[in-house]
Amino acid sequence: MKQKTDVLQGTLALMVLKTLDVLGSLHGYGIARRIEQISGDLLAVNQGTLYPVLLKLEQEGAIASAWGASENNRKARFYRLTRQGRKQLQVETQDWEQTSAIIGRFFAAKTEDLS
Amino acid sequence: MKSVRRFLNRVANVATRRAQDERLRQEIEEHIALQTEENLRAGLSPVEARRQAMLKFGGVEAMKQDYRAARGLPFIENLLGDLRNAARTIRRMPGFAAVIILSLAIGIGVNTTIFSWIQTVFFQPLPGVNGAANFLLVEPRSETGGYPAASWPEYRDLQTQLPALRDLVAFEMVPFNVGETGQTERTFGQLVSGNYFSALGLAPAIGRFIRPDEAERPGAEPVLVVSYDYWQTRFRGAPEVLGQKLRVNERDLTIIGVAPRQFQGTVLPLKYELWAPATLAPVLLGGARDLEDRGTRAFSLIGMLKPGATPQQAQAELTTAMAQLARDYPAASAGVDGEILSFWKAPRGPQRLMISGLAILQGVMLLLLLAVCGNTANLMLARGSTRQREMAVRVALGAGRWRIVSLVLSENMLLALLGAGLGAAIAVWGTTALRVAPIIGAFPILFQSRVDALTLALAIALGVVCGLIFSAAPAVHLAWLAPQHGLRSSSNTPPRSRARKALMGVEVGLAMVVLIAAALFLQNFHSARQTDPRFRPEGILLAAYDLSARNPEDASEREFAARLLERLRSLPGVEAAAIATNVPLDLHGIPARPFTVQGRVRTQAGQDRAISNTVTPGYFALMDIPLLEGNDFAAMRDKAAPAQAIVNEEFVLRYLNGADALGRRLQTRGSTFVIVGVARNSVYDAFGEPAQPAVYLSYRDLPSIQGEIHLRTRGGNEAALTSEARAVLRDLDPMLPLYDVRTFSQHIERNLYLRRIPARMFVVLGPLLLGLAAIGIYAVVSYAVARRTREIGVRLAFGATSTRVVLQIIRENLGAIAQGAAIGWLLALAISVHAITKGVINLPVFLGVPAILLGVATLACWIPAWRASRIDPVAALRHE
Repeated sequence: MKQKTDVLQGTLALMVLKTLDVLGSLHGYGIARRIEQISGDLLAVNQGTLYPVLLKLEQEGAIASAWGASENNRKARFYRLTRQGRKQLQVETQDWEQTSAIIGRFFAAKTEDLS
Repeated sequence: MKSVRRFLNRVANVATRRAQDERLRQEIEEHIALQTEENLRAGLSPVEARRQAMLKFGGVEAMKQDYRAARGLPFIENLLGDLRNAARTIRRMPGFAAVIILSLAIGIGVNTTIFSWIQTVFFQPLPGVNGAANFLLVEPRSETGGYPAASWPEYRDLQTQLPALRDLVAFEMVPFNVGETGQTERTFGQLVSGNYFSALGLAPAIGRFIRPDEAERPGAEPVLVVSYDYWQTRFRGAPEVLGQKLRVNERDLTIIGVAPRQFQGTVLPLKYELWAPATLAPVLLGGARDLEDRGTRAFSLIGMLKPGATPQQAQAELTTAMAQLARDYPAASAGVDGEILSFWKAPRGPQRLMISGLAILQGVMLLLLLAVCGNTANLMLARGSTRQREMAVRVALGAGRWRIVSLVLSENMLLALLGAGLGAAIAVWGTTALRVAPIIGAFPILFQSRVDALTLALAIALGVVCGLIFSAAPAVHLAWLAPQHGLRSSSNTPPRSRARKALMGVEVGLAMVVLIAAALFLQNFHSARQTDPRFRPEGILLAAYDLSARNPEDASEREFAARLLERLRSLPGVEAAAIATNVPLDLHGIPARPFTVQGRVRTQAGQDRAISNTVTPGYFALMDIPLLEGNDFAAMRDKAAPAQAIVNEEFVLRYLNGADALGRRLQTRGSTFVIVGVARNSVYDAFGEPAQPAVYLSYRDLPSIQGEIHLRTRGGNEAALTSEARAVLRDLDPMLPLYDVRTFSQHIERNLYLRRIPARMFVVLGPLLLGLAAIGIYAVVSYAVARRTREIGVRLAFGATSTRVVLQIIRENLGAIAQGAAIGWLLALAISVHAITKGVINLPVFLGVPAILLGVATLACWIPAWRASRIDPVAALRHE
């Protein structure tokens, strides 16, 4: 279980980018909810870990943020994808697909295939 | 790219930390509020909704840590934190910090100042010229090892025969008499080759420089370049100076340009005002044969290596060329080869003297700085031990060793850098003070040292090194402290003080070396006023004249001197008058010349040398140097007597084993002289020097172009003779100025100027160092005593007398001190015997300094010991 969340942490950045790509501008809670909905309960604990990831992405220029009003009219920080982030998403999606394809093939391979 | 951007972002974030923290707080709040609402909608109670929201969010503090780590630069933030902490600590102990900062500042300041002087000599020997340190000297070298300088024809030959050098430049120093007849002023200039300014890469402030074709044919163009200062002071910086005529040595020379501001000529640190083409030599020096005669060696040659050429290559070419010249012109060049020298090794001018002096000074001052470091380390250790508990708490709370080291380091570095900053300020002041140095001796001297980036870097580097040195012990001590031990240990456990005692010993040893050096130096300096120079300087007026503009012959020089003396002796205020080529105790020294003497069998290879001075009859009587044997020189106009010499006692003792000297023949300076007298030893170069052999020759046999007039007053003020002497000279030759008029006492004072700078340094630094050593010892002992309060209490309770307690404490500490002192003393003795006084041990210094130092050390031990012995045993035992 622990192992799985660690992998998830590593891919959290990619999930954030994808979420923003699909949903457009969103605040931290919204992103957390979305990831939670899709990934099941994997992110149920430790929603807070999202914030350092957001900061890192922002520092890298993949996302940008601004203050805005949330649904219930409270002040909230809204994140959106930048052009650079979109590019990064494309590259990382490709990478991910490649990696997962390789891993997939690797697991699918039988002993006799390898000999 | 991404990482760069992230880094810059992080740097920015360090600055905006507060705003960032606030932003995160608001985001977290918002997140939890939204989650709580969600939970409420799901039907939870308000309290439970918020609890669940918080749980889901996870550990806020851990997340914040992550967030901060990702956001800023933890290393820098820690450092800033440490620095803030350090600043607070320092503010809490202003006295302690002031002692450390001030002592470091003085140590660093003095070192930086001296370094800036050395740097000037080595790297910027020619102010205003870029890359001056790359110039090499091309020096003809005679068989005797002397450097007789080059003749003009030789220069022209070498120009084409040294392909490894580009632009070989020649220059000669000449005294100019500037102005109309009767009102001339002596100004120093250089006669230079046509490529002089272009080879040095100079650009004129205004006008132009001498063109190569203007230094091609003798007497080609009567042109003149003046220095920037000369332009400013004599012509008020007016651009109309160009084209004006200046009367120099009775010739009109047209000013064509002004040299750039800093440029002062090509002999450090002499300051020249005028530059004229070398081809004007026959005109300006009254028909001197400088330009044709290979025997007239007057020019210094410098050149820069061509790219890719090596000094060895240049040396090989020079050797070949000089050998060829020796074959072609045996009369002038036989036995003369050549040597390529680095610029700072210039055989003429005061550079060499300065460098050896400065190197010694720098060495001593670095020792001083080391002693300051030792002292600081000791203070730090003593203080650090009282902070054991603080550090133990930090370690117990999870601070790593490196955090503790960095804490201690940042504190000490802050102190060290504050010291370095103040030290740099002292250096700036020190170099400026030196720049306004007055004219020394006959030659104007300007030493354009300044604090530049390199010297500043040195100050900071010294600060950092010092900081590291005195941080090492306390940092290691504190960081490797076991927390339980530190927390448990209270004042009743005697600390291990071996490191502190060793440091104390080292510090005292260093202090001993520096103090002895300072004392030797000071004593040497003060003896100037106390020791007997073995002649009588009081009541003598000195003044120089120079006939070099006259192109005189030997006969006219002799006649001039004879007539001058007759006229001067007839003055009512003058008791005696004499002329000599050299004055004792001159900054530039008196030349020592090789000689051979009848009856002297040399046991070693090499040459005998003796101080050589040429004087007129009457000199010995005037100077009050008794002739122990024989007689004074024959009268100036005596044509019958053979060439004569008078030697001194030391000469007879050293070279003739005390045998009878009179009547022996002596060869020197290309002639043979008969010894007619033996004079008492006197001082020649410096007060307190060991006796030197000397040979006096007569003006009658070797008349000289220039002379130093010595006048002994008949009582009263010798300076009052000045105007009369001037009148006499003007009467003899209206064009000839009397220059460098000074009393003998002034001559001594002025020429001690360069020694006075280090002497003053030592006057300030000696007591300071003594004080520092005392503070260091006091700190260590009082700390050790404080830690042993309970032990002392027990002893007192068991009936030990306070005297015994005091004695025991002093004995314990004095052991380490005495060891350090003994080592330092032996070191100083070895250095002194081998390098400075050459075998003569200055007993008062070598006994007095240790006595004072040990006295102060004992006092520094005694005060805390005495205080400890006065405590009430009951209070001491309760003491925690």
